[in-house]
Amino acid sequence: MSITSTVQRAPAPDLTAADTRRRAARRTRVRRLALHAATFALLLATWWLVTRTGLVRPLFLPSPGAVWDAFVRANSDHPVSAGSSRVVRGEQNYYLWEHLLASLQRIAAGVGGGIAVGVPLGLVMGTTFLGTLLEPYLNFLRSLPPLAYIGLLIVWFGIGDTSKVWLLFLAAFPPITMATMASVRGVREDQVNAALSLGARRVQTVWAVVLPSTLPDVLTGIRVATGFAWTTVVAAEIANGIPGIGGLAYLAGEQLRSDLVVACIFVIGLAAIVLDLGLKSLERALVPWRGKA
Amino acid sequence: MSAVGGHDRGIALAGVSKSFDVGGESLPALAPTTLDIAPGEFVTLAGPSGCGKTTLLRILAGFTVPSEGTVTVSGEPVRGPGHERGVVFQQPTLFPWMSVRRNVEVGPRFQGVPAAERRARVDRYLDMVGLAAFGEHRPYELSGGMQQRCQIARVLAGDPDIVLMDEPFGALDALTRERLQGELLQIWRETGKTVLFITHSVDEAVYLGSRVLVMSPRPGRIVFDAPARFGRAGERVPVEEIRSLPEYADLTSQVRRAIHADVA
Repeated sequence: MSITSTVQRAPAPDLTAADTRRRAARRTRVRRLALHAATFALLLATWWLVTRTGLVRPLFLPSPGAVWDAFVRANSDHPVSAGSSRVVRGEQNYYLWEHLLASLQRIAAGVGGGIAVGVPLGLVMGTTFLGTLLEPYLNFLRSLPPLAYIGLLIVWFGIGDTSKVWLLFLAAFPPITMATMASVRGVREDQVNAALSLGARRVQTVWAVVLPSTLPDVLTGIRVATGFAWTTVVAAEIANGIPGIGGLAYLAGEQLRSDLVVACIFVIGLAAIVLDLGLKSLERALVPWRGKA
Repeated sequence: MSAVGGHDRGIALAGVSKSFDVGGESLPALAPTTLDIAPGEFVTLAGPSGCGKTTLLRILAGFTVPSEGTVTVSGEPVRGPGHERGVVFQQPTLFPWMSVRRNVEVGPRFQGVPAAERRARVDRYLDMVGLAAFGEHRPYELSGGMQQRCQIARVLAGDPDIVLMDEPFGALDALTRERLQGELLQIWRETGKTVLFITHSVDEAVYLGSRVLVMSPRPGRIVFDAPARFGRAGERVPVEEIRSLPEYADLTSQVRRAIHADVA
């Protein structure tokens, strides 16, 4: 009798153990969150205190309230100046989120092009003699700060969006190509051999083995490229960058509107973090086997 | 003796040798080897590590080109990998981006087997290796022994006439290893495939083989070749009683002597 009851109850301790583990994990998560919140509050309070006591002039460091006001102003229709009856839309005739969206669209076009060219190119470079042939040029291109050749691109493609998208493309495609190439070279030979022994033709192994096994590294390459392109887009918008979050930040600086500059900085930084988190979770969803096999 | 499964692919190696270039120097890995394997044989190849066993297997698989000599399978020279020669690797080369089921299905899929037949084969071999309940898992969610069983199911689902196995149980714990040995023997008796099984374990070689070969240290040479009747197709000795036969102990000590004679 006692044996039967033990057997029947066997799963129970396991469940409670898992339960305890889950609860402990939740506790550490809550504690970490609280720590982050406290750090953030402390920074904010220091900032507020420094501006409030007049230690630093608002031109150098605007108060949190002023930055918030600039942020709200930039996202709404408001009078052109205090007491004026002329109402304008956001900043430079675009809301702040429209500036952000314009920059994000440029990123999407540039990185999209980078993927479309970089992945096939990396695949070819990783499997043929073209790799050793072209790698120095790719390294050369990769080591250039994209802003060094924006002038040339403007001469070629004009001052409009085309030159900016080209710039982002040139910034994004080398890291994607390099990641793909390195990954293709690192494909386990025996996985290809296994496929061949199971009846795959050479060409089939590209789709069935090489591409999926490079996917984790390619996604990392895309993430790196996106981060790089983001810092580039903001800089690229210095010239004729409205609408664009980088263009707006630059313009606001020229007009000595530090509150709007800081508001833009927050938006730029947060957008970068959100972008990266999004790509990270995409990675987790697409390559759950990373680090496990 | 005709095989149970009824295929007639004999393997013939004639004067096959292999040297590797290491820093401009030619290092012999496999001495000229001549060997015929009849259809339906279960040939085990034992020898110390690094003696060229794996080189021999990779030449047969078509992964490595021999420096000299010719390899033919049912009269046709080997020019590369082919689905009539399945390979079970030392490390399971399962695809982590596919479920266990899809992994097993990959061979028939490459070969263009119709869906219904594919499903039937996958079910049969998953069941045979005891992984029927794990079809939807990913390979990395399985233990090492289960991964190796999955790899065996994948190779068998590809329906090769010849199965080349490179120390497939080397990395497993003793209990799992013994169970898989029994299962493999059972599978072989049922299917009548030709098997070349590489191992560094004397016990494993004698237990599984219908013919036991021993290879000398580098450059590898076959120094011992004897029939072993225990595992043979059609043999009625139950798999679990093989180890208690007196002939088993006898052959084991012969093989052991052959290995040690050459090491000394």
